Amino acid sequence: MKKIIALVLTVALACMMLTGCGTKNTSFQIALITDKGNIDDKSFNQGSWEGVEAFCKANKIKDYQYIKPEDTSDTGYLAAIDNAVTAGAKVIVTPGYLFEVPVYTAQTKYPEVKFILLDGAPHTADYVYETKSNVASIMYAEEQSGYLAGYAAVKDGYTKLGFMGGMAVPAVQAFGYGYLQGVEAAATELGLADGAITVTYHYTGDFAETDTNKAMAKTMYQEGTQVIFACGGSVGKSVMSAANEADAKVIGVDVDQRYDSTTVITSATKGLGASVQAVLESIYNTNSWDTYAGKTTYFDASNNGVGLPTVVIGDEKANAFDRFNSFDKAAYDEVYATLASGSIDLKRTLEVADPNGIATAEELTTGLNLKKVAVTVR
Amino acid sequence: MNKILNRAAALAAASFNGQGQKAPIESPSGQEAYSINYEDYSEVNMENYIIEMLHITKEFPGIIANDDITLQLKKGEIHALLGENGAGKSTLMSVLFGLHQAEKGEIKKNGEVVRVSNPKDANNLGIGMVHQHFKLVEIFTVLENIILGVEPNKAGFLQKKEAREKVMELSKQYGLHVDPDAIVEKISVGMQQRVEILKMLYRENDILIFDEPTAVLTPQEIDELMDIMRNFAKEGKSILFITHKLNEIMSVADRCTVLRKGKCIGTVEIKNTTKEELSRMMVGRDVNFVVEKQEEKLGEVVLQVSNVTVPSKISKKDAVKDISFEVRAGEIVCLAGIEGNGQSELISAITGLEKMSRGKVTLCGKNITKAPIRQRTKSGMSHIPEDRHKHGLVLDYSLEDNLVLQRYHQPEFQRGGFIKRPAVRSYAERLIKEYDIRSSQGAITIARGMSGGNQQKAIIAREIDKEHKLLIAVQPTRGLDVGAIEFIHKQLVATRDAGKAVLLMSLELDEIMEVSDRILVMYEGEIVGELNPKEITVQELGLYMSGAKRNMEKENSYAE
Amino acid sequence: MQNNQASPKFKDMITGITKSKAVSTFTAALLAIALGLIFGFIVMIVAKPENSWYGFTTMLFGGLRRLGDVFYYATPILMTGLSVGFAFKMGLFNIGASGQYTMGMFFALYVGFMWKLPPGIHWIACVLAGMVGGMIWGFIPGICKALANVNEVITSIMFNYIGMYLVDMWIQGNAVIYDSGKTRTSYLPVSAQIPSLGVTGSNVNVAIIIAIALAVILYIVLNKTTFGYELRATGYNRYASKYAGMNDKRNTMLTMLIAGGFSGLGGAFAILAPSTIIGSSMTYEPINVIAANGFNGIAVALLGSSNPIGIIFSALFISHIQRGGTVVSSLYGYKPEIIDVVIAIIIYFSAFAMLMNSNVARMIKKRRLAKEASGNPGNDGQQDRKEA
Repeated sequence: MKKIIALVLTVALACMMLTGCGTKNTSFQIALITDKGNIDDKSFNQGSWEGVEAFCKANKIKDYQYIKPEDTSDTGYLAAIDNAVTAGAKVIVTPGYLFEVPVYTAQTKYPEVKFILLDGAPHTADYVYETKSNVASIMYAEEQSGYLAGYAAVKDGYTKLGFMGGMAVPAVQAFGYGYLQGVEAAATELGLADGAITVTYHYTGDFAETDTNKAMAKTMYQEGTQVIFACGGSVGKSVMSAANEADAKVIGVDVDQRYDSTTVITSATKGLGASVQAVLESIYNTNSWDTYAGKTTYFDASNNGVGLPTVVIGDEKANAFDRFNSFDKAAYDEVYATLASGSIDLKRTLEVADPNGIATAEELTTGLNLKKVAVTVR
Repeated sequence: MNKILNRAAALAAASFNGQGQKAPIESPSGQEAYSINYEDYSEVNMENYIIEMLHITKEFPGIIANDDITLQLKKGEIHALLGENGAGKSTLMSVLFGLHQAEKGEIKKNGEVVRVSNPKDANNLGIGMVHQHFKLVEIFTVLENIILGVEPNKAGFLQKKEAREKVMELSKQYGLHVDPDAIVEKISVGMQQRVEILKMLYRENDILIFDEPTAVLTPQEIDELMDIMRNFAKEGKSILFITHKLNEIMSVADRCTVLRKGKCIGTVEIKNTTKEELSRMMVGRDVNFVVEKQEEKLGEVVLQVSNVTVPSKISKKDAVKDISFEVRAGEIVCLAGIEGNGQSELISAITGLEKMSRGKVTLCGKNITKAPIRQRTKSGMSHIPEDRHKHGLVLDYSLEDNLVLQRYHQPEFQRGGFIKRPAVRSYAERLIKEYDIRSSQGAITIARGMSGGNQQKAIIAREIDKEHKLLIAVQPTRGLDVGAIEFIHKQLVATRDAGKAVLLMSLELDEIMEVSDRILVMYEGEIVGELNPKEITVQELGLYMSGAKRNMEKENSYAE
Repeated sequence: MQNNQASPKFKDMITGITKSKAVSTFTAALLAIALGLIFGFIVMIVAKPENSWYGFTTMLFGGLRRLGDVFYYATPILMTGLSVGFAFKMGLFNIGASGQYTMGMFFALYVGFMWKLPPGIHWIACVLAGMVGGMIWGFIPGICKALANVNEVITSIMFNYIGMYLVDMWIQGNAVIYDSGKTRTSYLPVSAQIPSLGVTGSNVNVAIIIAIALAVILYIVLNKTTFGYELRATGYNRYASKYAGMNDKRNTMLTMLIAGGFSGLGGAFAILAPSTIIGSSMTYEPINVIAANGFNGIAVALLGSSNPIGIIFSALFISHIQRGGTVVSSLYGYKPEIIDVVIAIIIYFSAFAMLMNSNVARMIKKRRLAKEASGNPGNDGQQDRKEA
C-alpha cells in the first residue's frame, strides 16, 4: 500500500514539476457555442466554425475556442455562454435558431459582449423579439439560394421536379418560392414551352425523418419526379433514402449535403462561414460593427451569404459540380453574378389564405408569375 | 455421477479452506507430550530415505500453513500423513509436488538437495500424485488420459500401440484393471482412480502421493486400493498416503507423520501405536469415537414419503425412482449410499428445493408435496443443507443475520416490516453461547470469515433451535474435524431423544453405523435395503451400497 | 499489528474497523479514482502541456465554483445510480435505466402538457407520473425475469431502444408537446416545473433534496426491513434465499419495479427542472439517442458500491468532475472532446472500484499482511484468505 501511494505521489509530483511552470489562464476572444450537434456535424456548427477558423487564421488571432454546452436546453446554452464570458470571450458566435431565447437573455446580461446569432433573432420564450446593440442577428436570403438550386436543376436538363419543405415557416417558404422562380427563369432562358416543367410542391408539416415523409418522396419519384429539393431538416434524410431506392436525385439545403448521400446533386446553402467572417471583419478590422448591431441582417448573393457549393469541403481541388450532367462552375458564376448585382427581384413572401401558410397551386402560379412551370400542390 | 463427485471434491476443498484459516489462532495444546524428536531419525542411515522434506516452512498471508515440518520417506514404505482438515497436509504435498514454494527448508532426494519449482520438476524426480479431485479429461479414453502429456510419437504422429502395450503390462503387473478404450466419464470412480494411478506408473514415478484417495470409494474398493498400495510398497515404490481416517492408516501404513495446525506433532511407527494415540496426536485431546445413545422411543409417523420420483438434472433418467418410506418421531433414519445415487435429489424434493415429478410427501399428516419452502418450514421441517455455502448461509451476511435466516419474518424479530435489531442480537448471542459458535467478532462477524466447523454449528443451531418436528440433516459433518463431528453427532442424538424425527443423509460409513437407528440404502435411485445398524457389518453395508445386494423389492412396503 | 501488547479486545476493534468491508470498499474507490486522475492528467499533459496543471486542478476543484450546478446535474444520475445500485443489491443488473429514464421523462412531459392542474400540485403529479412510467418500464423485464427466467440484461437493453423509439414517436406525434419548428419539445408550463432552490444562475431545484431523501429511505429499506433483508440475501446468495423460503419471483419483480421507478423519477427530475430563463423550460429532442444519464447511472452505482449513501456521493463526485471539466474546456483552451476523454477516463476507472476492491486492494493488503504475518499470524489474516 505504502509503495503504491509513494509511487502515485512521485508520479503526481513529477507531472507537477513538468507542467507547473506553464502559462496560466489563456482567456480567449472569440467563442462559438455548438448547438445539439458536434463541431463536425456538416451543418450549422461546422459551417460557422469554419468561418471563425478562417477569419482567425487570416487575422492571426490565436485565442478562439468552441464550447459544448452541458445540456441542450435553453439554460444549458445560457450556461455555456456564461462559461465563455467567464473565460474572457469578447465575441460569441451562436449558430442556429436554438440560441434565440438564450441570446435574448444573454444580451442584457452581458452588454459588453458581442453576439453573432446565425439564422435567428433573439426573442423571449413568448416570442417577444428584441435585438440589442450588442447582437448581430444574421439571416439569409433563402429565396436566392432556392433560386440558384431551381435554376441549376432545370439548366442541367431536369424537367420533373419536386419540392418537399418542412413546415411552411418563413425560411422554408422563401426557399420554395425562390426555387420555383429559379425554375421558371431557367425554363424561360432555355425557351421551353409553357408547362414544360412540372413541379410537385409539398410541405410535410414536420422537420423529422419519418416513414410518411419517405413514402411521400417515394410516391413522387414513382410518378416520375427526377429530383426533389428536400428543404426541412431531417426531412432530407427521408428523401435521400427514398431517392436511393428510386435511383433518383436530391437537392440538399442549408449546408453542402454531398456527404450525406450520393443522390445529392447540389445544395441550396446559406453562407454561414462567409457571414461569420464578414461580421468578425466588421468588429476587428473595419470597425463597422454598427452595420450589423442591433438588427437582423439578411445575407444574400451580394455578400456571399447564399449559394450553391463551389468547393468540396475537405478537398479543395475537387469539382463541386461533378454531380451535374452539364451545369458547371462557369454557368453558375454567370447566374450568381446577375443575382449578386441585384438585377433580379425575387419574391420572398406571398399572400397565402391558409392560416398554416400552405399556398395553393394557384396562389403560387399567380403570385410568382409562373408560366413555363406547372405546379401541383400536395 | 462424475460431476457430482467433482462438486463434492470442490466442496471438500472449500471447507478445507474454511478450516485452514481457523487453524493458527489457537496454539496447539499438549504438543510436547507427543513431540517425538525427529532429529533422531535424520542421522540414521541416510541412504534409506528416498525423499526428505526438511524444516519446511510455508506461509500464506496471515497464516503459516507449514511451520518447520520435517517428513522423511523411506524407500519402499507406506508413509501416512495424518491431520485434520487445515492441518497443512495438502500444503506440504503441494510443496513437494512443486505447486507451492516453501519459504524455508529444503527437499532432498537420495540425500541430495533438489529444487522442485513446478510439477514437471516433480515428475522428473519420479514424484507422482493422485489428487483428491481427479485431473482427467472426461471425454478422452482411459488410454488417452494415461499418455496425456507424454504421448509417444514419431515425427508428431501418435504411437498408440506402443503406449497401449505398456499400459496393459502395468495394469497386469499391479492388478489395476482398466479398459483402455473406455471413455473416462462413463467409468466408475474406482476405475477413474486406477487411471490416475496408472498415469503415475506410466511416467515411471516411484514416489507416489495419494491425496485422500478413499473419500470417494466404497468399502470394497477401499480394500482393493489398500492391496494395491501394499503391492507398490513390495515392488520398492514409496508411498505417501494422506488421510484423516485412522482405520486405514492402522491397516496399511508403516509409519505415520501427524500434523496439527501447521506444526509437525511427530512421526510414529504404526506397529508401536494405537488408533487412540494417533487421534490424540491429531486433535490434541481425547476423542470419543462412540456415539452414546439411549434406546429409541418411537413415536408417530412424522414424515411420510410415498412413491416419489424425481427427474435427473444431468440425464434423461429419473434420479429417484418411486421411493416410499417413513420417519417416525424419536428415530434417526439414515439415507446411505455412494454419492450420486439419488439421495441428494430425494432430499431436495422433500425439502422443496427441487420439484418431484410424481409422489406425495406428508409432514405430520399435512400434505406438503407442492407446498412452498416457507410453508414446509412453518409446518415443522428443519433442514441442514448438504452444501452449507450454497444453501445454508448467506456468506456475506453477519452471523446474527444468518442465525435468523429462517425466522426473520416471525413477529419475534420484526414489526411492520422493520427488523427488530435488538431482538436479533440477543437471540444470536444466546445461540452463540448455547452452541459454542466461535468467531472473531461475535454476532456481527461476517459468515464468510468463520471456519467451516463454526459455520456448520451456526446452521445446526439455527435449525435445531427453530421449532420443528422433523430435522433433515444432509452430510452434516462433511469436511469437519473430529471435534466438530463429535459435537454434531451429539446434537443429532439429542434432537432424536427430544422426540423429533431425524432424517440423516450421509456418505460416511462410520457416521451411518454409529448415529442411525435405521438405515435406508439407496442405489441408482432406489432403496435397495432397509437395515438395522446393530445387525450388520460395514462390509455388508458396502455390498448394499455398491448394488451387489438388496433386500427390498422395487415395490416398497410403504407404497399406498 | 505492531502493538502486540494491546488488549485483544482493542485489537479486534481496530482490525474490525480497518478491515471492515466499508473501509476497504472506500479505499478501493479512492484508489480507483486516484488512478483515473493520473491517467486523465497524462492525457491532459499530452494534449496541452503548458496548461495541464492549472487545467487539471480546475477540473478537480472548478466544480466548487458552480456548486448549484453540481447538485443540479447530480440529481438525475443520482436517481439512475440508485436504480442500478438497488437492483444490483438483489443481484440484478438493471442496464435498462436509460429506457426507464426516458419513459419517466415522457410520462412527466405528458402530464405536464396535457393535464391542467393547479400550481403546487401539477409538478408533483408530473413527478409521480414519471415514477409510474419508469416503474412500468422496469416492471416488464422484471416479470420476464421472474416468470420466464429471461435474462434481465437482455430485456432491459432491448427496452432501452423500445422505450426511446416509442417516446420519440409519441412526442413527434403530439402537436402540443412537440414544437416541430424547433425539432424539440415545447416549453413546459411553469406549474409543471419543479420549484427552484433559488441559486443564482443555476437550475438546482427541490428534486435534489427529494433524491437525497429517497437515497436515505432506500438505505433504510435495504438495511432495516425484512424486505431489504430478503433482497440482499437474494443478491448475495440466490440459493440460500430460496432455501430460506424467500419469494424470489415476487422480490425480483418488486425490485425491478422499484428500480424502474427510481430511473423514471430521474427522467422526470431532469425534464421538469426549472429554467433560469423566464418562460423557458427544459426541452427534449427526439433524435433517437439513448439517454446517457441511464448509463452514467451504472458508473455512479459502481463507484458507490451500490450503497445508497455511497451513491449520493458518487453522483455528486461525477457531477462535480463534469462541471469542473466544462470550466476547463472554456478556461484553458482544451478542446471539449479532450475534456470528455479525461472525464470518461476518470469515471471509467472509478467504475472499476468494484474490481479494484476485490483484486488490487486485496493484493496490496495481502502483501502488507504477509510482511506482518511473520510476527503475528493474527485473525486479520483469516479474513484475507477467506476472500481468496
